[in-house]
Amino acid sequence: MKRSLHPLTMWIWALLLIAAVVLADSAWVALSAIGVATALVIARRDNSPWGGSYWIALRIGAVILVIRAVVGILIGVPIPGRTIFTVPIIDLPSWMPGIRLGGAVTLERLSSSLHEGLIIATVIALFGAATSLTSPHKVLRTLPFFIYEIGITLVIATSLFPQLAHSARRIRLAQQLRGHEKISWRGLALPLLEESLSRSLQLAAAMDSRGFGVSRKRSRYRPEKWQMSDSAIVAITMALSSALVLA
Amino acid sequence: MIKFSNVSLIYPHSTKTIIEGLTFSIQEGEMVLVMGETGSGKTSLLRLINGLVPHHTGGILAGDISVDGISTREVKPGSLAHIVGIVGQNPLNGFVTDIVEEELAFGMEALNFPHDVMRKRVEEVLDLLGLNAVRHRSIATLSGGEQQRVAIGAALVMHPKVLVLDEPTSALDPIAAEEVLSLLHRLVHDLSVTVVIAEHRLERVIQFVDRIIYIEGNGETAIGPAEEVLKTAQLVPPIIRLARALNLSEVGTSVREVRRLTEDIRSQTFETTEIMPAETSVVIEVNELTINYGDQRALKGVSTKIHAGEIVAVMGRNGAGKSSLLHAIVGSQLPTKGQVRVHQKDPALLKGADRRRSIGYVPQEPSDLLYAQSVRAECAQADRDNEITEGSTFAFLSRLVPHISQETHPNDLSEGQRLALVLSIVLSGNPELLVLDEPTRGLDYQAKNLFALALKEYASTFNRPVLLATHDVELVAELAHRVLFLAEGDIVADGSTLDVLLSSPAFAPQVAKVMSPKPWLTVSDVVKAMAQ
Amino acid sequence: MNLTPSAFSFRGLALPALIATSAISALGFLWPFLISTPQARPQWLFALALPCALLLLFASVSNNKLDTKSIALLAVLTAVIAALRPMGTGAVGIEPMWFVLILAARVFGPSFGFLLGALSMVLSAFLTGGLGPWVAYQAFAAGWIGLGIGLIPRNIRGRNELALLALYGVIAAAFFGIAMDLQFWPWTLGVDTQLSYQAGAPIAENFNRFISYHFLSAMAWDVPRAIFTSTLILITGRPILHTLRRAHTRAAFCTPIEFVESQASERAKEEKAAK
Repeated sequence: MKRSLHPLTMWIWALLLIAAVVLADSAWVALSAIGVATALVIARRDNSPWGGSYWIALRIGAVILVIRAVVGILIGVPIPGRTIFTVPIIDLPSWMPGIRLGGAVTLERLSSSLHEGLIIATVIALFGAATSLTSPHKVLRTLPFFIYEIGITLVIATSLFPQLAHSARRIRLAQQLRGHEKISWRGLALPLLEESLSRSLQLAAAMDSRGFGVSRKRSRYRPEKWQMSDSAIVAITMALSSALVLA
Repeated sequence: MIKFSNVSLIYPHSTKTIIEGLTFSIQEGEMVLVMGETGSGKTSLLRLINGLVPHHTGGILAGDISVDGISTREVKPGSLAHIVGIVGQNPLNGFVTDIVEEELAFGMEALNFPHDVMRKRVEEVLDLLGLNAVRHRSIATLSGGEQQRVAIGAALVMHPKVLVLDEPTSALDPIAAEEVLSLLHRLVHDLSVTVVIAEHRLERVIQFVDRIIYIEGNGETAIGPAEEVLKTAQLVPPIIRLARALNLSEVGTSVREVRRLTEDIRSQTFETTEIMPAETSVVIEVNELTINYGDQRALKGVSTKIHAGEIVAVMGRNGAGKSSLLHAIVGSQLPTKGQVRVHQKDPALLKGADRRRSIGYVPQEPSDLLYAQSVRAECAQADRDNEITEGSTFAFLSRLVPHISQETHPNDLSEGQRLALVLSIVLSGNPELLVLDEPTRGLDYQAKNLFALALKEYASTFNRPVLLATHDVELVAELAHRVLFLAEGDIVADGSTLDVLLSSPAFAPQVAKVMSPKPWLTVSDVVKAMAQ
Repeated sequence: MNLTPSAFSFRGLALPALIATSAISALGFLWPFLISTPQARPQWLFALALPCALLLLFASVSNNKLDTKSIALLAVLTAVIAALRPMGTGAVGIEPMWFVLILAARVFGPSFGFLLGALSMVLSAFLTGGLGPWVAYQAFAAGWIGLGIGLIPRNIRGRNELALLALYGVIAAAFFGIAMDLQFWPWTLGVDTQLSYQAGAPIAENFNRFISYHFLSAMAWDVPRAIFTSTLILITGRPILHTLRRAHTRAAFCTPIEFVESQASERAKEEKAAK
């Protein structure tokens, strides 16, 4: 990370852009937003495990785009205009009333479906970009105190993951050496569940011992600082979004 | 500092009295050891000090407990957090976050400490415990000793007056254990912290403690200075047994003391009879075995042979490669280079019932193997798997540990009972080789003796090798014929137990340290030599 | 006599918060039948509203209402469920998370189940990087599934219990399918297809359209999910329930904390021995 931004900055950036894309309702705005997001994600690429979220989100967006287009072609309400091609008409059973598959597909129909799909895909992509660009651990830590307990639960759950994987491997080994080559679910799930539950109770005792829940207010050890760079990014994005919407 | 007045404890859903009529007081700056058999109530006693019992666990408590003048009746455990710091048995399970520095700050955050105080204390504790180098690291990647220190640090940031630790050295190799205990000693003597510690490996601890609380398991407790309690206790470390065996008038708690008491014995000369081990066939052959995990080189071309009927201990610091060697022999880890052969076969190719018959493996967490809901079901499963008469596994188990109810859930058994169950299950397959990974964690001396006997019987009756990775020097002295010492992926020592243990000051058993330079490892060695 | 804290349940302020936010999110799912606007604007509004509702619900639940045991158990079970979720990818409807949720909600209570469902969705979104407003929808849906366990009477055990839970699994699978389709209906179809909702049209007609839309996805996802979940419950239910109940017992929720005088302890022991 070249400079460390406040974890919420990129989320605010993403939300502002999303608002702009939705309100402006223009394909060009959407496409440029995707462009900007892609550039950012590539520029700030590091090896973190959540870095791939953007590309997954793009793919999901593309899928939705395709679905919209296909659905539009097959069962869309026809919009009169220039016909591009015709899909053979298939009549569906009578209990699916009024649905007719196929018919003439017009340019307007197609572009309308694609347009909507694009907006949605862009929104998804922007969410994916925000996730790629921010460490979820940091976000969890900046969660406001009014959801502290929930936040802590999520923090603990996240740190349990590598432990779960490690335990699963260990248990699998032990069961294999007991001669059960194909691990029955019982052999893996039950010891894993027992162990995890037992661990969690030890954790609860430790947390009680350390004073969790005694005081209503909590302090923060390393508060994430909101810096000039963060304000700058937010200001620029706000200006840009407003410009796009009003234009 | 800590006052127990006529304290009795019963848990709500059981009829067993955990503690009865216990009265004692611990002064500031004392180090007190709590000892007793597994399941005798040590953990309950420790938890009474900070109020976890009964506020967290429920319970019926008679009598009064006060810490620094505050009665535990009136406050919840969290309110005592700045007075009593408690470090549980498995520190990894007590961590909330994943980064060392954040973990240290967590307790203070929860109690709303001001920011500058938190920063200052975190730095202090990092320095005190030598954790500065790892402050940003993920806790899961630290060694056992470092994790233990982080756990102690997380308790120390609150500047507690009392520090309570439940089996802090059980997972540590002797050197890391020394470090932790010296740290505690320093805290007691430099900072006047009161330390209460529960331990099974008494040999490591007794030289540091002032008094001992001995929970005898029938509700009785004996409290007093270390020597007094140990004179008559049932569970005692080797140097006490040595003193008893030699009929010494006094009992010493440290090597130095007992050396002074046995000066005259050591000055005598004894005939040493060397027992040449019979040459037996090679069962395991390890040839230039190299294992790399990515960049990490766990084993660097080690070679050794293990013979039938040998009990071989694999020792070394955590991370030296013990697990990798064991996993390679057991066939779960493929060698990067070199080869392993068990009875001329590649263990990695064994599957299913073959594997069970060739290699018996007792893992570090014995409960990994167990998945049935009752002891009966587990034994029945073992009987079925190995096609032996029904009930034979349970019969074997009953010989090892009598009085186990068949309906008990395996995870409700004590550590020793669970280990016995797993051992019975593994041995019911009559494997040609037995491999154990750190089997004696959390076992008291009695359970360890039974376990050692069972292993010796297996090795000698069937003339089969036993391979065990362990930190427990005393166990190795009692049990092993040979020791393989690993460090940083190399075998640095490979010879008879006597030779290897005597040549290393850190890994020598207590009796050897006391009787040095005489070549004796255990109390029975001494007694035998003197009887001649 | 005091008791140790109980497992989490919606009490005090949290209960009205649950009802209110559930109402809002129910609206978020059902608005195509109830609101008529020419464009699909409400979908954006609800996309904004639901995450806020979820946050509000979480806030009402925090603030010292969650005790450490509930937090620790929630964390572990959330991690287990979130770890199981990706194992189903590839096969439609093969979602291993539901049977764990249902069994855990049965043992630890419906309120716990609600949080468990909601948090598992949130956590797995965090971990797979799929954070967005849809997560709030999923969280509420999964939460209601956990909450709904409360409909099954507490004292049923044995085979009847398993049968009821398996039946619930089928219902839950269908419910989740409907909820997801309701959520995605406006998004994937927009306003101008034959199966889209019609602003201003009578409920019956929109309902019809929705059913047609839902039918295909039901075949593809819901049926396998229902079969998979109920089968898993029937097969794994007994040992897993047993394990969970053991943990519940060891957690010592609602366990009496009694302080007695020393002499009284003798009497207490005698009383217990006599019982």
